[in-house]
Amino acid sequence: MFAEWLYFGLAGLSVLGAIGLILFRHPMNGAMSFVVTLISLAGLYALLSAKLIFAVQLIVYAGAIMSLIIFIIMFLNIQDSDLPDEKGKGLFLLGGAVVIAPISLFLYKIVKSLPGSDTKIIGNGFGDVREVGLVLFKNWLLPFEIISILLLIALVGAVVLAGKREAGK
Amino acid sequence: MILDYLTLSIILFSLGILGVVSRRNVFTVFMSIELMLNAANLAFIAFSRLHVSMDGHVLALMIIAVAAAEAALALAVVILLHKHKGVLDTNIFSLLKG
Repeated sequence: MFAEWLYFGLAGLSVLGAIGLILFRHPMNGAMSFVVTLISLAGLYALLSAKLIFAVQLIVYAGAIMSLIIFIIMFLNIQDSDLPDEKGKGLFLLGGAVVIAPISLFLYKIVKSLPGSDTKIIGNGFGDVREVGLVLFKNWLLPFEIISILLLIALVGAVVLAGKREAGK
Repeated sequence: MILDYLTLSIILFSLGILGVVSRRNVFTVFMSIELMLNAANLAFIAFSRLHVSMDGHVLALMIIAVAAAEAALALAVVILLHKHKGVLDTNIFSLLKG
C-alpha cells in the first residue's frame, strides 16, 4: 500500500516537472523543473527494484548531464530579450495536443492489453550491479564496445565544434 | 501494477513530443528530447520488471550513455550557433535552407 502511494506521488511530481518544462518561458526555470522530473523518475526506478539504474540516473542524469545543461545556459548569459517571442505558443500547444492525443490513446490501448503483474520489490539480487554486469559483459558485449566508440566520437566532435579558435582575430 | 508505469511513460513521451513541436527555444526543445529518452527508459525498466530479466536494465544504461554523448554534441552545436547568430530561436537557425 505504501509503495502505491509512493508511486502516485512520484508520478505526479514527474508529470508536473514535465509540464513545467514545456510551459516555462526561460530555459533556466525549465531545466530546474526537469531536474524534478529526473529525480522522481529515479525514485520510480527504485520502486521497480532497479537498484543500479536508480543510482546511475541520480549520478549521471540528474547530476552530470543536467549540470552540464545548466552550466551552458548560465554560460550563455541569456537575458529576457534573447528569448524568442513565442506569441502563438498556446495555439501550437493546443494543436500539438490534438495531434498527439489519438496516438497516446492508441498506445494506452496497447498497454492495457498487456498482462499485468504486481510490482513488489524483489530481492535476490534483481537489478544489482552483479546481475546487470553479468548480462552486460556476456550478452551485450559488442553494443557496449560500440557505445564506448560513440562516446569517444562525441568527445572529439565536441572539442572540434566548440573549441575552434580563429587565428586571425 | 506495471501498467501504471507504462501509462506514465506514455504521458511523459507525449509531453516530450509536445515540447518539441510547440516550443521555439533551443534549450527547451533539447530538454524535451531528453524527456522522451527518459520515458523510453522508464518503459524499458518496467518491461524488465514484467519479465524478470536484466536486459532492459542494460538497454537503459546504454540509453543513458547515448544521452550523455548527445548532450555533449548538442550543447557544442548550440554554443556555436549562439556565437554565430546571437539568438536562441530555432526558426532563425535555418542555415541548411537552400
